[in-house]
Amino acid sequence: MVRKTPSTESQIDEGVARELREAYDFDRRDPLFGLSRAQLSGPRLERRSVLRLLAAAGTLGAWHLLPGPLGAVAPAKAQSGGTLRCGWSGVGEIVTLDPAQINQVLQFQIASNVLSGLTHINAQLIAEGDLAESWEVSEDGLAWTFKLREGVTFHNGDPFTADDVLFTYARSKDPQQSIHSRTLSNVQALDKLDDHRVRFTLAQPQASFLVKTLERSSGRAMTIVSRGALESMGTSDYGLRPVGTGPFRVVRHQLGQSVFLERFEDYYDPERPKLDAVEILPILDAEPLAAAMEAGDIQLIGGNPVAGELVDRFVENPDLVVDETPLPGFQSVWINPWHEAMKVTDFDKPLEELMQEPGFKVRMALAKALDRETYIAQAHFGRGTPAFGSVNPAMGYYFDGELAEQSSQTYDVEAAQALLAEAGYPGGEGFPKLRLLTMPVNRRESLVVANILGRNLGIEVEVQTKDFPVLIEDFDRMDWDLVRLGSGGDYDPDDALQDWMSTASKFNGRLRDTAVHPFGFFSEARVDELSAEQSATADLDQRREMVVEANRITSDKVASAFLYHPSDVLVHARSVTFPAESRIPGLVDLDRVTLS
Amino acid sequence: MTRYLLRRTFGAVIVMWAVATLVFFMIRLVPGDPIGAILFDAGDAQAVEDLRRSMGLDQAVWVQYGLWFWNLFQGDLGASIYGSRVPVSQLLAEALPRTLSLAFLSFLLAVAIAVPAGLIAATKRNSGWDTSVTFVAFLGLSMPDFWLGILLIILFAATLQWLPAVGYMPLSEGFWPWLEHLILPSIAVGTAFSAIIARMIRSAMLEVLNTDYMRVARSKGLPTRVLILRHALPNALIPVITVIGIAFALLMAGAVVVENVFAIKGLGRMLIQGILHRDYPVVQGAILVVSAIFVFSNLLVDLLYSAVDPRIRYD
Repeated sequence: MVRKTPSTESQIDEGVARELREAYDFDRRDPLFGLSRAQLSGPRLERRSVLRLLAAAGTLGAWHLLPGPLGAVAPAKAQSGGTLRCGWSGVGEIVTLDPAQINQVLQFQIASNVLSGLTHINAQLIAEGDLAESWEVSEDGLAWTFKLREGVTFHNGDPFTADDVLFTYARSKDPQQSIHSRTLSNVQALDKLDDHRVRFTLAQPQASFLVKTLERSSGRAMTIVSRGALESMGTSDYGLRPVGTGPFRVVRHQLGQSVFLERFEDYYDPERPKLDAVEILPILDAEPLAAAMEAGDIQLIGGNPVAGELVDRFVENPDLVVDETPLPGFQSVWINPWHEAMKVTDFDKPLEELMQEPGFKVRMALAKALDRETYIAQAHFGRGTPAFGSVNPAMGYYFDGELAEQSSQTYDVEAAQALLAEAGYPGGEGFPKLRLLTMPVNRRESLVVANILGRNLGIEVEVQTKDFPVLIEDFDRMDWDLVRLGSGGDYDPDDALQDWMSTASKFNGRLRDTAVHPFGFFSEARVDELSAEQSATADLDQRREMVVEANRITSDKVASAFLYHPSDVLVHARSVTFPAESRIPGLVDLDRVTLS
Repeated sequence: MTRYLLRRTFGAVIVMWAVATLVFFMIRLVPGDPIGAILFDAGDAQAVEDLRRSMGLDQAVWVQYGLWFWNLFQGDLGASIYGSRVPVSQLLAEALPRTLSLAFLSFLLAVAIAVPAGLIAATKRNSGWDTSVTFVAFLGLSMPDFWLGILLIILFAATLQWLPAVGYMPLSEGFWPWLEHLILPSIAVGTAFSAIIARMIRSAMLEVLNTDYMRVARSKGLPTRVLILRHALPNALIPVITVIGIAFALLMAGAVVVENVFAIKGLGRMLIQGILHRDYPVVQGAILVVSAIFVFSNLLVDLLYSAVDPRIRYD
């Protein structure tokens, strides 16, 4: 059985469309985003308030998760107990569950079941109080006061108090202890008011504060850790068996073998979790994962995206349920602007001027020759959306639906061949062989890219697989011709523009020799300007204009040959009831899951 | 004998040190930046350098070597540089029982199949039995173990649902849970080795069966069973023990592909993942253990020679 979440404009229910329109209907300069203080206060935000905050934060694109006709799924059967066995796809071991060290989605998918934050988004992307019972915000939108739940205990029996929030904040703010310190850059101070009240002071209003910074899983910076457990266990042991206040506690973690979670009897919500226990097995290879699923050894697949070749097989299996929804992110073929045949040393030139340069013509030819539909069909068995920029469809309001038709990268094989000929390589003759770097896991997909480019342009592209540390080192040092790489978990335009397209981007030739390469893979003054401005502006229309303009420049000036936006596929046995309210893209929250 | 043992043990330690030293420097020559990979989406160049410094990876290689060796001398193998930075000794303590279990069962299976098959093939030379054993042996040798593993999973786990497809259960969870998780991987690993050992036994037995003393024994009218098991087999065992010793050492560290297929994190998989991630302490620790296994397996084999052949003495 396949349950597909609609994602095209034509499928939007009118009621939902009206809600979406209203979400953006507020004074752009208002620090409270057109909401009253009461509406912004917790423990639970109303739907309208959440939509407004999501709109302001640029995450409203996940509208497809909204309840109603689009998201209506039968409610979970109330059957408690049992042990759920899960396979975590494409991973050999869960190297850490410590939020300060987590750097993979597949890790925080587990941590989200063990640890709590002050807030947690639900499937409707409504920020609900998790460890925060309620909250208030000041008129200027800078001071957020949280009332913490009383009577909450950590898995080791320690009581949860404001001191734990302060300890977590101090730990996460310290780059020596946490890799997520940047997430808290807008927080100026955190004060303890009493044992169960804390106040955050922000440098500037931040719409994503509740749904991102304080969110327990994807944010990770303010996922509450236990000081007592950390001190008694040490960071290594804590990383394997973190002690939190979440619905499940880690009973056993055999690195590379399994993580065994057990229901936390003293969880603050006595109705959750439904399951007695969860066992998570990391399974690296695709075929054993499929066999384990088909044999009933495991009943749910989490972790890395399920290999495309397996999805149709699962869809055809009457014992399994396959649930698809868009995944926020993009994948690209990066083109080295310092390679002699593709050289562009100044992206600031007007497009018309750039179009006169042989190196730019080659870049454009490569981007235009990428038959993305064929690529998605062959490499991902039809699952995914062609990409023409880093801003993905899940960003909704900011996503430029017309870009696919209007981008200079739009597929046109004849134009691509003409450009290559103009650059001095008619039919690919005399063009140097290009190395396309990729990770072993992406080899097949990269071969499809190489094949498409070879067929359409008559050039030779050799796929070279490299282990991740080698590929990243080469990428950081700009020692490559083409690289097949991309991003996931991008909910905000910042994730797409600041993180990837700005000159100061952390990915932009981080370890390059700056004397030889003044910039990495792309640098454009207007994009830098727009990227910085959109990040700080509260005016939604203006922000959208900036995002769209920046995205179009990166597309037209071929910051990379954008390839596709992936899909999120959840596979589970029919005996597992995975309620719609737990279906958050990128997460596998198991506290409401039941077995029948 | 004691002197011999001491001499060999000393030699083993030297070999292990040489291997560990070689690996220490070689793994650092391999391209790849583990720190860049850890901070791929979470830090700038400065953060990368800071983390590198905090882990001591910015120091000269010989300084790193000196520190590692000094810590090793005190029984500290270091910690993984990824994730929660778990001590290597803990990783080894978790991986070794899995590998030992898999190797032991595979070895048992291989010997249980190989000995009778080899004896039958040798004693019934050029018969249908011989041809069948040879054919099956070549089939076992030709089949990649990971492919056989997947076939076994599809048949016995996915289709018949008799055995679990993946995972490992420690013996402490019960004998049957432990065994049922190891049956399929043991068959996948053991098949090729049983083929090798069976072929070895066959050729060694054929050589012994054609010796003069066997002809004398046969002419004295000794029963075939006594002839084979008491006189021929012990004399054919020397080369077989050599192969079995190497096979066991290979099983301990070389079952990595099968470990991947069956999602068992043993020593081999730990080593390969360490290499792929450029996790230097893990690679160094695992190689040290693997070299110890090889060296001491060889020592054990040498000692077994004297047990099966009284003519061999280590005085």
